[in-house]
Amino acid sequence: MTSQTTLLADDASCPASRSLWQLGWQRLRRDRIGLTALWVVLAFVLLALAGWLGLAGSHWRDEVAKPNMPPALFKDYGPATVELTAADIDAAQQHNTSAADASAATGMSAEDDPLAADMAAAQTQAAKAAPLAVTPANDSLLILGSDSRGRDVLQKVIQGTATSLLVGLSGALLAILIGTLLGALSGYFGRRVDDLLMWFYSVFTSVPDMLLLLAFSAVMSRGIDTVIMVMALTSWTGTYRLMRAEFMKHKGREYVQAADAIGASHRSRMFRHILPNVTHLLLVQFSILTVALIKYEAILSFLGFGVGVSQTSWGAMLAEAPAELLQGYWWQMAAVTLFMSLLVTAFSMLTDSLRDALDPKVK
Amino acid sequence: MMKKRILVATIAALAAVGAQAADMNKVLHVAFNVPETGFDPAKVSDTYSGSILENVFDPLVTYDYLARPAKVIPNTTVALPTVSADGKVYTFKLKPGIYFAPDAAFKGQKRELTAADYAYSIKRHLDPTINSPWSFLVDGRFVGADALVKAAGKGALNYDTPVEGIKVLDKYTLQLTLNEGNYNFLQILAMPAFGAVAREAIEAYASNTNAKPVGTGPYTLKEWKPGNKIILEANPNFRKLVINGQTLPKVGRVEVSIIEEEQPLWLAFVNKQLDISGIPQAALQEALVIDPKNPLNVKLQDKYAKQGIQLERKKDLEITYQFFNMQDPVVGGDAKEKIALRRAIAMAFPRSETIATIRRGQAVPVNYVIPEGVAGYNPAFKGAVKYDPAAANALLDRFGYKVGADGLRTLPDGKPLSIEMATGTSGIDKQWNEYWQKAFDSLKIKLTFKYGKWNELNKANRQNKLQMWGLAWGADYPDGENFMQLLYGKNAGDANSANFKNAEYDRLFEASLKLPDGAERNKLYDAMNKIVAAQQPWIFGDTRVRSQLAHRYVKNFKLHPLLNTTWRYIDLQK
Amino acid sequence: MLAYILRRLWQMVPTLFGVMLLLFILFNWVGGDPSYILAGKSFSAETLANIRHQLGLDKSLPEQFLIFVQQVLTLDFGTSWSTQQPVADILGSRIGPSLTLALPMLLVSLLLSVIIAAIVAYVRGSLTDRIVTLICTLAMSVSALVYIIAGQYWLAHKLGWFPILGWSDSLATNLWLYVPLPLLLGLVVSLAPDIRFYRSCFVEEMNHDYVRTARAKGLSEQVIMLKHVMRNALIPVVTSLMMSLPYLFLGALLLERFFGIPGMGNEVLNAVDRSDFPVIKAITIYVALATMLFNLLADIVYKLIDPRVQLK
Repeated sequence: MTSQTTLLADDASCPASRSLWQLGWQRLRRDRIGLTALWVVLAFVLLALAGWLGLAGSHWRDEVAKPNMPPALFKDYGPATVELTAADIDAAQQHNTSAADASAATGMSAEDDPLAADMAAAQTQAAKAAPLAVTPANDSLLILGSDSRGRDVLQKVIQGTATSLLVGLSGALLAILIGTLLGALSGYFGRRVDDLLMWFYSVFTSVPDMLLLLAFSAVMSRGIDTVIMVMALTSWTGTYRLMRAEFMKHKGREYVQAADAIGASHRSRMFRHILPNVTHLLLVQFSILTVALIKYEAILSFLGFGVGVSQTSWGAMLAEAPAELLQGYWWQMAAVTLFMSLLVTAFSMLTDSLRDALDPKVK
Repeated sequence: MMKKRILVATIAALAAVGAQAADMNKVLHVAFNVPETGFDPAKVSDTYSGSILENVFDPLVTYDYLARPAKVIPNTTVALPTVSADGKVYTFKLKPGIYFAPDAAFKGQKRELTAADYAYSIKRHLDPTINSPWSFLVDGRFVGADALVKAAGKGALNYDTPVEGIKVLDKYTLQLTLNEGNYNFLQILAMPAFGAVAREAIEAYASNTNAKPVGTGPYTLKEWKPGNKIILEANPNFRKLVINGQTLPKVGRVEVSIIEEEQPLWLAFVNKQLDISGIPQAALQEALVIDPKNPLNVKLQDKYAKQGIQLERKKDLEITYQFFNMQDPVVGGDAKEKIALRRAIAMAFPRSETIATIRRGQAVPVNYVIPEGVAGYNPAFKGAVKYDPAAANALLDRFGYKVGADGLRTLPDGKPLSIEMATGTSGIDKQWNEYWQKAFDSLKIKLTFKYGKWNELNKANRQNKLQMWGLAWGADYPDGENFMQLLYGKNAGDANSANFKNAEYDRLFEASLKLPDGAERNKLYDAMNKIVAAQQPWIFGDTRVRSQLAHRYVKNFKLHPLLNTTWRYIDLQK
Repeated sequence: MLAYILRRLWQMVPTLFGVMLLLFILFNWVGGDPSYILAGKSFSAETLANIRHQLGLDKSLPEQFLIFVQQVLTLDFGTSWSTQQPVADILGSRIGPSLTLALPMLLVSLLLSVIIAAIVAYVRGSLTDRIVTLICTLAMSVSALVYIIAGQYWLAHKLGWFPILGWSDSLATNLWLYVPLPLLLGLVVSLAPDIRFYRSCFVEEMNHDYVRTARAKGLSEQVIMLKHVMRNALIPVVTSLMMSLPYLFLGALLLERFFGIPGMGNEVLNAVDRSDFPVIKAITIYVALATMLFNLLADIVYKLIDPRVQLK
């Protein structure tokens, strides 16, 4: 990754103008693969949006079917396992209690229990109230089958898309923000600032990623925000290097010196003048990072640092895969792999196309 | 250099003399799913290291391999010890002619096991510089030992100072004198932690006793790659041990691999890279046909039965429980509304469902602080509340835990109610957390999780910072006292992780200590269990039933309720 | 050149100091207290205090940091807190297996990816190019976790082509018996991105003016490809290679866990799990040193390949 960015830094040696974006869009429109990839990515973003807004996949925690039911199309390709239920355990418990034990059955009697009266009242009250509607385990088939708790894998994978995409996009965005800000300061001001930030950078790159990861996730609680933070904190370095090189190159250019001459402040020179000329690189960097982070999340979840129990993600689903595969339940892994590879492939192709389309050297 | 060669030659000669029963060409392959820590009996306390200790060291007494319930029998002693009338003085007579495994520390001499070795090994658990994890079993137990420990201060114990309670009468006679009579003393001495070490060996390898276990047991440590592989070889000096006409051990080499992931562990067994293995949770249904009418009634799946794979099962001597911190201002306390809160949470937890799905039916619900197989257990007692989320909600309503505008309950005084549960980060933890989340959702109580490594959570709990956490307790010795002490007020903050302090419970516990196992003590235990049920410091969990598999060619395969391993009895006939 | 190298080496000192500071802060903040593991399941406050004293955890933080500095200067990290084995022994036994897996993987991957990338770059725009690029993109899109789980399940278990897992003391046995499957799975994960990256480097070079000039001069395509394009495109290849070297030590964590390879990756995970600070310290410092040295090496090689590069 790092070397890729060095390369990018090298090839964008001439300043890009605003029209580069228009040019890029024109080029992208002519690129059939790139355009298709763009539509696929957009479709995923829409799906994720629907997931965030609760329009799709919001019922993923509902236990709607029998556990571990294979997908509708492959209903005969699942293992023939009998799934136990709570009722089985209760019945067996009753059955296994010997007659002698049953007759001698003791426990806390009413006089031992400080809550005896309240318990009795609560129980009558509960019995009087309409019994909780017990949704019977549904036999109807699900397109992508169900997981070990009888949840719809399709709902899960949609919710997972929303989470993983959110994690990937915001993680990448945050990493880009940190990297750009530090890179800009470092490249633009040089000297002491650069020395300090370069030191910071080399320290961060020298400590093994995994250690940082384990450390960061140990302090923070589980949740999407933690995963995003951890990812941003461990992956801003590539962008920093790239932006530092770019800002160093650009600050000597005439247009920046011209801005200096008309009295533009440092901030204005950095972010109003130089930044727009390097955004095309950031866009490419952003999509590379997004893909990397989406895959990174899977590994994080597997190591136990993923999202909490009230959320799900592709990584959280994949983390269940080893245990499921051992039992012959292949569909959750297949569904996630399908969704993930579709998005990642489209994203990678889009990145390629963007790189070509926004390359100022290609005429 | 020359000297070394001579030494090697002597060792080889000694090896030839020893009554070597084991076939060095037979290699038993087994696996642990958690890394071990080391092999110094006074320094390690995890089961996995203990399994190795069990095979390298010899405690004074051990358990009969075949007798059920477990029965203590002499190991390196000629008979069980003679006990004085007041139950305080134990006299052990060692069998002469038991030798330590050959080791460079003995400078080529054959080293006999003596009573002094046991005295030394027991004293090591008291040594302040060793910090034995088992010191709680010996602290204050032996007459005169406290003075010795006090004299040592922070430094090493003076092992040469005579101690009244740990006395060597002659080369083969050891006398242990207790401050108070104790009905579990022999079972404590049967633990692998109390195997005999040789002082020369410990001193020779002082800096690294964990890697150099030298004992009199059937195996010696041949090679250790921490966290990856442990190789044991038959001890050439092992005494002649004949059981049912067979001289032990049979297998010359035991290779233990550490395999932490479930998939490779299970596949390695199926593909015969392992000879014996447990069944990981994920593979339970793949390996076993579980009868839904009685989930504990299982048989091997046909494909495995046809291969002649053998199945052995045992119910663990353990309980699992989710405790409330009784000193916590939100979930603790003995006010009625606090009990109601704890009771409601217990009533909302779908325990049977977790046994069905997470345990795959391979566990039984806990209804008594003491599990089956441990003295004092009462099968008739039903200590757990019935699963009834509707009644739980009604109970909370009655005590003023009102549902607020955000759909969540508040405390009776109107302050927000949020409960934090400590948890690990593994995949299995997550499965449990899903059920806890569901239980709290059904009560409309806000639940958050505090994730951490075991030691961090343990520290937090000792500092009184946790509200709830799930733990398991396995028997150190099969007596009810080992379990009932988990709620004894004086152990609060230590083994009593719930910080439960109940004067009546403590009084009953202290009274029970003075009684042997029997109806009278059971009556006290029942009364204490009623207090636990009423106060609800715990939500009872389950007791697991473990399955172990062995391939067709593994002979004499049988599990023992207390011994971790039975390698010395096993034979391989491929 | 020598002066440059010396200066760069000197610059490593503050970086190393930074690494130590970061590590020290992180561990004291989140690392966990190992005395709670060592004390067993039931213990007194004195036992705990004793253990903390023996581990040196009762010293003040500056004092502890000073000891750390001393350890780094002597490269002697003492003994592990959990198993009490000398840290040097632990790392010594871990590095071999890590390299036994990583080096062949690196070599095979480098060889295959450069060759394939050169071929597809040469025929860029053709059907072959598109198919290879597509396959690579698809292969990249699947999580490494899926490859490992599925690979072990089907290739080793169902088909029986490889052992499920294992490791021996003999290098030969490891190489022909235990390494092939993890190597293969590692390749699938690393090959695709490498091919894509190298292809883009080659294509980049081919678009340069000098290639057109060479072509105009009538040089054959092979000569251009081998003598000019390859040579220049090697710069990013070498840089990326150097950069990836430190990852060899820790990168194969998942492979190690699933295939029973006693490497460094799993050691770090276990050390963090047990709050075994000496082991964490040692591994971090060594990996940091390796990273810095390889960075320097990359710059030097860079200079050797391309004399135009100014070292400053």
